[in-house]
Amino acid sequence: MTEQTALTPAIRMVLALTLVTAIAAALLGLTDLVTRQPIHEAQRAMLRASLEQVLPPHANNPIDDALTVHADGRDIPVYIARDATGRVVALAWEVVAPDGYSGAIRILMGVAPDGTIQAIRVTDHRETPGLGDGIVRNRAWVDSFSGKRLDNARWAVKKDGGDFDQFTGATITPRAVVKAVHRGLEFFAAQRARLLKRASRLEEPARKAKLQP
Amino acid sequence: MSATIDAAAVSRKDILADGLWRNNTIFAQLLGMCPLLGVTTSAVNGFWMGAATTLVLLGSNTVVSLIRGFVPRDVRIPAYITVIAAFVTVVGMAMNAWAHEMYLVLGLFIPLIVVNCAILGRAEAFASKNGLADSAADALGVGLGFTLALMLLGSVREILGHGSIFGVHVLGERYPDFLMFVLPPGAFIALGFIIAGVNIINRRLGRKIEARAGCSPAAHPASEQA
Repeated sequence: MTEQTALTPAIRMVLALTLVTAIAAALLGLTDLVTRQPIHEAQRAMLRASLEQVLPPHANNPIDDALTVHADGRDIPVYIARDATGRVVALAWEVVAPDGYSGAIRILMGVAPDGTIQAIRVTDHRETPGLGDGIVRNRAWVDSFSGKRLDNARWAVKKDGGDFDQFTGATITPRAVVKAVHRGLEFFAAQRARLLKRASRLEEPARKAKLQP
Repeated sequence: MSATIDAAAVSRKDILADGLWRNNTIFAQLLGMCPLLGVTTSAVNGFWMGAATTLVLLGSNTVVSLIRGFVPRDVRIPAYITVIAAFVTVVGMAMNAWAHEMYLVLGLFIPLIVVNCAILGRAEAFASKNGLADSAADALGVGLGFTLALMLLGSVREILGHGSIFGVHVLGERYPDFLMFVLPPGAFIALGFIIAGVNIINRRLGRKIEARAGCSPAAHPASEQA
């Protein structure tokens, strides 16, 4: 440390902090380099697993067979499930309920081309454990969405005169989910014709590519 | 922040034992309450939070020990925080990549490790005054002690709250969920009983430790630092 006594304390401080932050930055850059690909793959695997739960059996990979729809001021990816002949069997997209009990609730919904819900899954939420988190843990409640369409259900919780159960001690959470799924179906009803047309157009080159080799 | 240790006088084994039990971050110092109460709804969560914190501590303590002669006193805190924040981000990214589901469960509590005062406390009270090997041993002891506390509280809350441990039902499938222990009040109550139990154990061990260490920080563990 003897040569450093020549430096003024201020310069020593600047030097020390510069070196520390430079090393920290290098460490972070390196970590990003190593983890970027695995993080991307982990996120895809996660999405894939959720999609498998809301879509009926299919022959394609819906993640790579997706359309982007611009609605409500944002781009919504719509994942398409097809059978072996390339026919669309269901579509899946994510809706966000901004009015959960604590923060936004993200819901992935799978819907048949005729507008019937196949299944829904909550993919992210911050609801109270044991109360609001029934939207994940209460399977019967989650499954009560399957088979529902815009025109065969009253889209509200029972307390509000609808068809969906609320939970004991938690009404706000299921109410938010029902509302969001309802909005999701309305989005599909509005976009249905265009969506299905675009989906079947996508199918052509995909099927040809498969037949050629 | 914590009882400073005369490093010359204690062996490495003592450093480990100190962090692990005698000066345990949770049981003795009552530091790091935010992650403790926030994530310990299950034993698995407690384990992962403890493991992440231990890794950060290992990184920050070794680096702080390495740069201790180089960083001027006046800017040591910003330098330590930069080091800690870097390691927290590294651990967060690594978990995101290789323990993705756990990363989503722990969510915000991972970046919040930066403000766990116990970590800055170890940098300031130990690593900035001791050599590399001792600082690493201290990090390991404190980290494992923290993990032990988180897992213990997580297990108690999971057993009482859901009748399971590490996701395996031990009180029968029909156990009715005891919500209070899943929610924050249950964390405080369970922690209170655990610390009471630790104090009883310490009182019984008290004389033995006192005789060996000369002065014992464990005699009144909670009262001095709380």
